[in-house]
Amino acid sequence: MIAKVAWRNIWRSRTRTAVVVGAVILAIWALVFMIAFVRGVVYGYIDKAVQFETSHVQLHNPAFLEEPALALTIPEGQGVMEVLAGHDSIVAWSPRIVVNAMLATSTGANGIQLRGVDPQQEHQLTRIGERVVEGVFFDEGRNQVVLSTSLAAKLNVGLRKKVIVTFQDQYNNLTSAAFRVIGLYDTDNRNIDDVVAFVRADDLRAVAGMETGANHEMALLASDVEMVPQLTRALSRRFPDLTVRDFEEISPDLGLFKSQVQINLIIMTVIIMLALIFGIINTMLMAVLERTRELGMLMAIGMNKARVFGMVVIETMYVSLLGAPVGLALGWATVLILNRTGIDLSNWSSGLAEFGMATLVYPVLETDAYVVIVSGILITALLASIYPSLKAIRLRPVEALRKL
Amino acid sequence: MSMETVIQTIDLHKVYDETRVPVHALRGVDLRIDKGEFTAIVGPSGSGKSTLLNIIGGLDQPTRGQIIIDGTDLATLSPNALIDFRKNKIGFVFQSYNLIPVLTAKENVEFVMLLQKRSKAERDARVQVLMEAVGLADRLHNRPSELSGGQQQRVAVARALAPKPAFILADEPTANLDSASTTNLLDMMARLNTQEAMTFVFSTHDQRVIDRARRVITLEDGQIISDLAQDA
Repeated sequence: MIAKVAWRNIWRSRTRTAVVVGAVILAIWALVFMIAFVRGVVYGYIDKAVQFETSHVQLHNPAFLEEPALALTIPEGQGVMEVLAGHDSIVAWSPRIVVNAMLATSTGANGIQLRGVDPQQEHQLTRIGERVVEGVFFDEGRNQVVLSTSLAAKLNVGLRKKVIVTFQDQYNNLTSAAFRVIGLYDTDNRNIDDVVAFVRADDLRAVAGMETGANHEMALLASDVEMVPQLTRALSRRFPDLTVRDFEEISPDLGLFKSQVQINLIIMTVIIMLALIFGIINTMLMAVLERTRELGMLMAIGMNKARVFGMVVIETMYVSLLGAPVGLALGWATVLILNRTGIDLSNWSSGLAEFGMATLVYPVLETDAYVVIVSGILITALLASIYPSLKAIRLRPVEALRKL
Repeated sequence: MSMETVIQTIDLHKVYDETRVPVHALRGVDLRIDKGEFTAIVGPSGSGKSTLLNIIGGLDQPTRGQIIIDGTDLATLSPNALIDFRKNKIGFVFQSYNLIPVLTAKENVEFVMLLQKRSKAERDARVQVLMEAVGLADRLHNRPSELSGGQQQRVAVARALAPKPAFILADEPTANLDSASTTNLLDMMARLNTQEAMTFVFSTHDQRVIDRARRVITLEDGQIISDLAQDA
């Protein structure tokens, strides 16, 4: 009965209820969108970093990570590769030689990281071939190099031109070789574009005097990002002499970003809910104060304080939660659509690329965020109901009834 | 007729100490009202009439003195117990009806019985009886806004009777009614009084109500100055 009275009470002033319902819809929609947007940005960043920088898991000779010397290759690399090739939850993997080198042309020089790769395997892992905007990602010729358009511009070098690569070989002697630019790529990610140049592993081994099949790094992608921790543990057990790291360990900022997203979700929820609380309190206070005499009468004829309190709480919950499903549905639909189309931030993209961020943001929101938002609204409604309810039960029937 | 005392006040005083100028609203009221009485409390405004009614209704506490309703000294009740006491023992009828606007006539009458946790069958049966008694059996599902003032006040009487109270306390019940509605309401209350021995206590200015009362208590300056039995 109390619930029925409360339900009918909220329709006594349709405009007022509509205003609160509208505010709740707007707040929830905004919340869902903002959180999804931020997650989109962060996941875009992580995806990009995973795609071109870290992959899901990397294996190294532990000594190489401390001092990246040419001689510190992965021991018994052939056996390792056989295991990776036969593993069910690994969809792509690429062996690499990683050398810090100097890339020089007649007009300039730049320190870079030279990655000696198997072009086919590297493309399977990172889809880097799709990012080649001029030329190709290697053909049949020897001593070819693929670098980014920005690095090429900096060194004033174009397709088919030669560059000189200089690095220390395993005996600490400087070695140089000429490589021909066969392709130019652009990943939008400065962390890669400014520093990484690709050559064929066999060419690099020949120049460096390394053994056939020697590699410094194995990078791989799991079939599902959820599999990564399990896969990392399994590989660590299988190869106790190697360092096996997942992407969060390789690039701790990714893990930091992920936890930042969680904090961000809570902070945004709290701020919006706080704003909402005052709106709801204001409305419910009005609803209580204009019914002073009626509440006085209810208490006079025997409705006790707990019931009066409960009635105002229920009214507040109704008013607050009525708009919640609509707001959630709207937010969900918005995220669904934008997740397909993406939000184009290319006007700001040069700044974003600086941080390795994507210029097309695809908002995403998982169930956990909806759970947080829904609990946030519930808590908001409850908090907002306390003050008006207290106000209601503080009324004294004698005084309340006297008011006209 | 053996008399059962429903309301008894002993040396009732009420002092409002507003802004340090004490106002003596009641100065020693001794009163006894027995079951089945039909009593009007009259007096000019400021006479203490409303204060007395509020105290009898358990809505206000006396500064001094005792108030005993149906054998219970109200001073012994906790605030919550007092609310329950009002719910079960006192039927209120207000000057401006004060029905719950969002509930139908039937639901308004049912409301206190719901607070009393009466069964649905019992509630339905009693609503039917009461709405017939007040002549509104055909308006069960109308909301107050769809009823005339007289009809609303009759629903209010039915609501007051619903919990089977010890007496009905009516504060200027006819103040907002036209003559026809007033006569109609008074007839109905008189009938309930004689047929069901329901005790009625009114405060009123209305000569029509005073004429129908069988006992008229006049207050002035917080004291009873006359207490007369009369033929209705």
